[in-house]
Amino acid sequence: MTGPLFNNLGIYMFVALFLLCCGILGIIYRRTLIAMLISVELIMNGAGLNFIAINRFLYPERVNGQVFTLFIMGIAAAEVAIALAIIILIFRRFKKIEADTLKELKD
Amino acid sequence: MFLADIIFVIILLITMVGALMTVLLRSLIYGLMGLITTMFGIAGLYIYLNAPFIAMMQILIYVGAISILIAFAIMLAGPMFKRPKEWTKPVKFVSGAVTTFVTFILFLTMIMRTEWVGIKAEPINTTTRDLGRALFDKFVLPFELISLLIVVSIIGAIMIALYSRKEK
Repeated sequence: MTGPLFNNLGIYMFVALFLLCCGILGIIYRRTLIAMLISVELIMNGAGLNFIAINRFLYPERVNGQVFTLFIMGIAAAEVAIALAIIILIFRRFKKIEADTLKELKD
Repeated sequence: MFLADIIFVIILLITMVGALMTVLLRSLIYGLMGLITTMFGIAGLYIYLNAPFIAMMQILIYVGAISILIAFAIMLAGPMFKRPKEWTKPVKFVSGAVTTFVTFILFLTMIMRTEWVGIKAEPINTTTRDLGRALFDKFVLPFELISLLIVVSIIGAIMIALYSRKEK
């Protein structure tokens, strides 16, 4: 813990951990499918923040972490497109998007 | 240096409060607002981490594209005020809180105990040009695969929409 506050690796990792925990809590706790998708977005953002922080503090002469964060963004965009299409389809067929009321495939 | 610290703490608070808003607020659209707040906070953190291009991409992709997509999905999924409340059973809350707490303690001890060797406090300027060179030199194959993945996902979304209409 030396220097100015924003020059510590631990703070960024703490923020990323906070985002991860919020995402896990959201996935377990929220009920609608869209809210769970938003929580997954939080987790992916935490991962990207970790990539950039470690790139900046441990290997500042390379750009690999930044490239991987760009890839994470692309994958997140693709995933959100597909997942939202499926959610809209589920809503059209069953008229609800709560995860615990979708019991068609149970048993 | 003092002013930079103050702004950094403000950005940190924006990020954390946004994440808490995302998870804990009842309404879905307020949760989306929390997500957008978190995205802006993380873009600020990227600027502090010496990656301004990634910060711009964060705002463009997440705030500009993904949040709008989620907003459209929320609007298409019917009027939300007619639904039952978002809050679920207390058993679910307890299990979620326990899981989150265990994860938090586990990773916090991991962060605290790890000794990072070779931390460089002074940043070396890596420009956007370096990023582009790496993207088209070392990472050509993953880059093209990501673009293929996005095309496939868009076509898949269109096909899902088309088939669901045909069934009716």
